[in-house]
Amino acid sequence: MTTLDQHVGTRPIPNPKKSLITKLNAGTGLIVGIIFALLTYRGLSTVLDISIYELNNRVLLATMFMWSIGFLAGIGAFIGPIRWLIGEDLTAEEQLYLAGDGQGIKRYFKYCTDHKVVGIQYLWGVIVLLAVGGAMAMMIRTDLANPGGHFITPSVYNSLVGLHGITMIIALIIVATGPFGNYIMPIMIGAADMAFPRLNALSWWVLFTAIPVLCSAWFLGGIPTGWTAYAPLSVQAGPGMNAFIAAIIIFAISTAVSGANITATVITMRAKGMTWNRVPIFVVGATLSVAMAIPAFPTFMLAMIMTAMDRSFLTGFFDANVGGTGWLYAHLFWIMGHPEVYVILLPGVAILMEIVPVFVRKPLFSYTSAIVGFAGIVGLSFLVWAHHMYMTGWMPMLNGPFMVTTEMISVPTGLIFLVILGTLWNGKPWLKVPMLAVYAFLWNMLVGGITGLYLSDVPADMYLHGSMYVTAHFHYTLMGAALTGAVAGLSYWYPKMTGHMLHERASYISFWLVQIGFQVLYLGMFIAGAEGQPRRVVDYAEQFATSNKISTMGAYTIGIGFIVLLWAVIHSWRHGKIAPMNPWGAKTLEWTVPYPVPLVNFDTPPVVTSDPYGYGRSAK
Amino acid sequence: MSSDTKFQVHHDAPEAVGRRERLGVRLLIVADGAFVFGMIFSYFYLRNLDQNGGWIPKNGHTFSASSGWMAVLPLIVAALVHKLAQRDLSHQGSFSLITLVAYIYGGYYQLHQLANMPFIVKDTGTFEGAYAACWVVIAGANFFHYFVAGFIALGLVIRSRRATVDPVLESWRIRTAASWFTWVAVSGIALAITTSFI
Repeated sequence: MTTLDQHVGTRPIPNPKKSLITKLNAGTGLIVGIIFALLTYRGLSTVLDISIYELNNRVLLATMFMWSIGFLAGIGAFIGPIRWLIGEDLTAEEQLYLAGDGQGIKRYFKYCTDHKVVGIQYLWGVIVLLAVGGAMAMMIRTDLANPGGHFITPSVYNSLVGLHGITMIIALIIVATGPFGNYIMPIMIGAADMAFPRLNALSWWVLFTAIPVLCSAWFLGGIPTGWTAYAPLSVQAGPGMNAFIAAIIIFAISTAVSGANITATVITMRAKGMTWNRVPIFVVGATLSVAMAIPAFPTFMLAMIMTAMDRSFLTGFFDANVGGTGWLYAHLFWIMGHPEVYVILLPGVAILMEIVPVFVRKPLFSYTSAIVGFAGIVGLSFLVWAHHMYMTGWMPMLNGPFMVTTEMISVPTGLIFLVILGTLWNGKPWLKVPMLAVYAFLWNMLVGGITGLYLSDVPADMYLHGSMYVTAHFHYTLMGAALTGAVAGLSYWYPKMTGHMLHERASYISFWLVQIGFQVLYLGMFIAGAEGQPRRVVDYAEQFATSNKISTMGAYTIGIGFIVLLWAVIHSWRHGKIAPMNPWGAKTLEWTVPYPVPLVNFDTPPVVTSDPYGYGRSAK
Repeated sequence: MSSDTKFQVHHDAPEAVGRRERLGVRLLIVADGAFVFGMIFSYFYLRNLDQNGGWIPKNGHTFSASSGWMAVLPLIVAALVHKLAQRDLSHQGSFSLITLVAYIYGGYYQLHQLANMPFIVKDTGTFEGAYAACWVVIAGANFFHYFVAGFIALGLVIRSRRATVDPVLESWRIRTAASWFTWVAVSGIALAITTSFI
């Protein structure tokens, strides 16, 4: 019996009158999606001349969207809305079937509404995205190991940089709120499920359809624009750009649905007694993150729709000849783009703040400061977007105000630091991997934050803009802080999600390889950037050779570290040490339920009577 | 965190489910609101920038300001009629039918406008200036609003004739639908005001 089989037990499969939902799964989704896509492509290409640039773009975009719609139809995503429309709501038996009760491993390939199944689906989705994005990073670094020694062609390099960027951005947006926000968070707040279980399944499967769309960019000539897809370059790019556009639009829909679901769950489904000051800090961070994504991503979606319109219908949003401007794209992109950094960062940081009290056996220092810090970051993140546009010449008189708002973000970020350091103060940490990640975060975020101050400063940015320094800076924040937090969360909650402990030695080895490799890679990149090496450029001058070689060695070390972690995850899932119910002695609600977690999480609804970090004072 | 287990497993009351669904819809409205804000921002940004005099090129065509209002009038009427449906649940089906008809008419009108845009250059197929680009995206958003609202209205009409639906939960769904209907009317007004500034 596999772990997944143990998870569902041996209850008989409910039989909801042999309805259609019992016959649909990812396989039928793939078949219907491919049929829809082929019919759309064949049908449109017979009536439209695909040798004409804009008509070809129309056909490709329609094909990609019809793939997504077809897949969702084939997996049964529209059954609920249609049944609602005709007044025949799903029966209790059908809802139980949709929750995957008694279906074993098959439910992971169905439109399953159980939040724990969705959490595992997200986890593997993230792993696949990180693996693909990581492999691209290895190719980029291999190419940059030596000046002039091209491992790949310049056009392939361009595509790799863009696809690596967007793949990693998507992966990091969902890396914490996907697996842990879905699996762990409802249990943490004492809820039986998410507020909208069918929307929960929808958010995952919509995202799933975006993955092959994005990958198809590779076979359509790639994207030459980088992940920012600045106009008018993106308007003039080849057919691969359609894949980028379609993937982002689909992903934005998934994000909005997921954000509304998680936010509504936390607001309306907390256990009795879980007042706002008793909500675990991870729940606060994850909720603020997805709530921030709700208004942020639609502007990116709009920018993509405008790009698609310019490419497919010859409108002129970004064409200066007909009254458009590339600045409009930059505004819409960065109004989303900067909050998106904190959409990524907050859940990772919140995971670490959840971990610190558990592993030093002390209450979280100043919970209120943590909330104020999060709220300050969320509020300010919408007021800083134009610091990405200092050098565009958009409006120099506004550079000063945007510099001030950007630098002000260091204040709430400092509060977050204060809370973690205050909790660590005089504590006796239990140095397991999740706790080591806290120290790694403190260092990485310190470097990422301080180097960010220089970039927020207009005169310094004039010199550093567009250099490898910028690349190193945002990797320190996104990878060094957010991804480190997510990996810590994986180590911490792995026992609850799989029933097994994560292989400890492999976890340590992975942690040190990744963190050492990370410092080698990006500290070297800071040097090259400060000396003037431009980013996104396939070749470089001889003077940057040493630092690039060192950076590439660091990248390989990270790659090996993550391969070790992947091995640990797969190996431990089947063969790991059986985990006790509460291996870390934590006080949050998810550790009060056994593994396998019951379908409705709690046999009786919990009543919360104290705060989640009441560990008492540490001995002096 | 301590907990006790003296309470039995409960099923959520229709009121709790209804409030939750309404909150979910309102959160999605926030997302749609950001999209609408983006369109309004883009419209005025390009209009005021008037890059190379290309907002409306010389001899360029536009829709009249009133045509934008005509396109959103059904949204406003439908939202008002739905308010009546909320007050008189016994005739909710009839009111929802009027709402549905308004949305179908509005959607058709918007599609008709899109099919008869005066500002496409016949030889090249390009749009005349940034105004035309903004207009078509706004019209597309209006049509999307009509489509979703029409779907909901159709559901309410059909469901009002079925005895199997839970009347308490249904009354909450009518209130939840009101959130969307009101929002699309408000966004329609905002977009009509925007396109009035030609």
